[in-house]
Amino acid sequence: MESKSSTTGNRDNPNRNLHGSKTMMASHFLRALFRIQQTSTSSSSAGRSRRIRRAAYASMAYSAGTRRAWSRALLRKLRSRARLRFPRRLSRAATPQRRDMDQAQVLRKLVPGGPSMDDCKLLEETADYIRFLTTQVRLMQTVMDSVSS
Amino acid sequence: MGSAGSYGVGTGNSGAYMTEIAEPIRFEEEIRSLIQARFDAPPVSGGSFTALLGLSANQAVGLLHEPGAGEVSASAAASSPTGLGHPLGWSPTFPSNAGLAERAASFPVFAAADSPASSSGGRPSPQLKAEPSDSDSSPPLPVPIDKPRRPAKRKDCEKQKAKGPAKKLKTAEEHTEDDQLPYVHVRARRGQATDSHSLAERARREKINARMKLLQELVPGCSKITGTALVLDEIINHVQSLQRQVEFLSMRLAAVTPRIDFGGLDSFLMAECGPLAASNGRGEVALDPVSWSSDPAPGTGQRTDLRPSQQSSTAWVYPYGLINHGTSLFGYGAANSVCMILFNSSYPVLYKFSCSYSNNNFDLCS
Repeated sequence: MESKSSTTGNRDNPNRNLHGSKTMMASHFLRALFRIQQTSTSSSSAGRSRRIRRAAYASMAYSAGTRRAWSRALLRKLRSRARLRFPRRLSRAATPQRRDMDQAQVLRKLVPGGPSMDDCKLLEETADYIRFLTTQVRLMQTVMDSVSS
Repeated sequence: MGSAGSYGVGTGNSGAYMTEIAEPIRFEEEIRSLIQARFDAPPVSGGSFTALLGLSANQAVGLLHEPGAGEVSASAAASSPTGLGHPLGWSPTFPSNAGLAERAASFPVFAAADSPASSSGGRPSPQLKAEPSDSDSSPPLPVPIDKPRRPAKRKDCEKQKAKGPAKKLKTAEEHTEDDQLPYVHVRARRGQATDSHSLAERARREKINARMKLLQELVPGCSKITGTALVLDEIINHVQSLQRQVEFLSMRLAAVTPRIDFGGLDSFLMAECGPLAASNGRGEVALDPVSWSSDPAPGTGQRTDLRPSQQSSTAWVYPYGLINHGTSLFGYGAANSVCMILFNSSYPVLYKFSCSYSNNNFDLCS
């Protein structure tokens, strides 16, 4: 198949960072899925979905390592067994409040470890977070498709 | 998020943050458009320094709107360039006109990509000599902006010279921030202060802008959007949609999971890939397609036999349409290709991982 490890020349270096992380993410996630399948044969689908979501974020954080502030914060949160985040609040969907004032704040809430970053770092971490999130989503999609086909 | 930390930092900054970003963007574009427009035309006789830039004197004055630097205007009293007692700690000595002229002529900005710039670069040098005496009609030092770069932190006599005649025209705090000659990545910004604080601020703003650009590339459909607020909105939407997708996919996976047939996964993964680390960035897990087997029979978890893998085997994995930048999620090339473990209740196709670690730093991940 495609044998390029660096893809469309846009972001060569970051993709190389993702290179090894993808495989780590995949294997970690698959192992976690396997474990979840084994240990929750009778539990509800909701509980399983929560665990799977947690496993997804865990895979992201593990493959990102400790180099990133967001992954460190994620790992911290996962280790402390805190309730995993509230992913979104639909109540605030379309309010015009989301103007310049709030944007950095909203972003801080979204990105793990957000509140303790200055704006510059926030943007950097957001970019990395988005990269890993997309990879994770693709991974889950792949598993999903392969299972259901 | 569980971390409902204090958002004081964010709140305090975010207001200034946005305007900080927006303003230099507008400013840069304005400057660039002006300069491009003017460079095409031969420089008018609006004084030597405007000839350098190609702007008319009116336009130069018109750029006076930067409310940033207070200190430099304070020292605007000096009408002659030599009498400049800079509160910023610059050495008050000025180079001779000749020195200034030749430095200006060798100013890389003038030799920049724009061909009109190079032509106009040579021309003003004789005019520069007349500059200090001609402080009345001299506009602020025009330093063309070729392309955005980080501002130089070194203050040179060039700047002082610029400030001298410039002072007359600076009602508000307009200052040009020249970059120093040895630096090719020159950037001069008109109407911006050149003291250390503003320089640091501007460096910060540049960093933020650079990161915004990266983010724009990451978020699909964001490169066309201009304006920081909209871009940030898009970014926020994207992050939220990604998190939502994770949640939905996990729900669907939870429904599907019981049906997954992890064929030989337990022994294989636990044994070999078990101690996969949360390595620090150098985790080179090279997975080779050791073997794969495809068992078309609707087995329920039987171990299928292994066959030596071919490149084509990995190709089998890929038609999932999830092409990430042209490669599949798990496609890493001939030397380093990955086999994915596929589980399917009806087709227990098993691709085996063979993990060879190049890095022995393992912590047990969970």
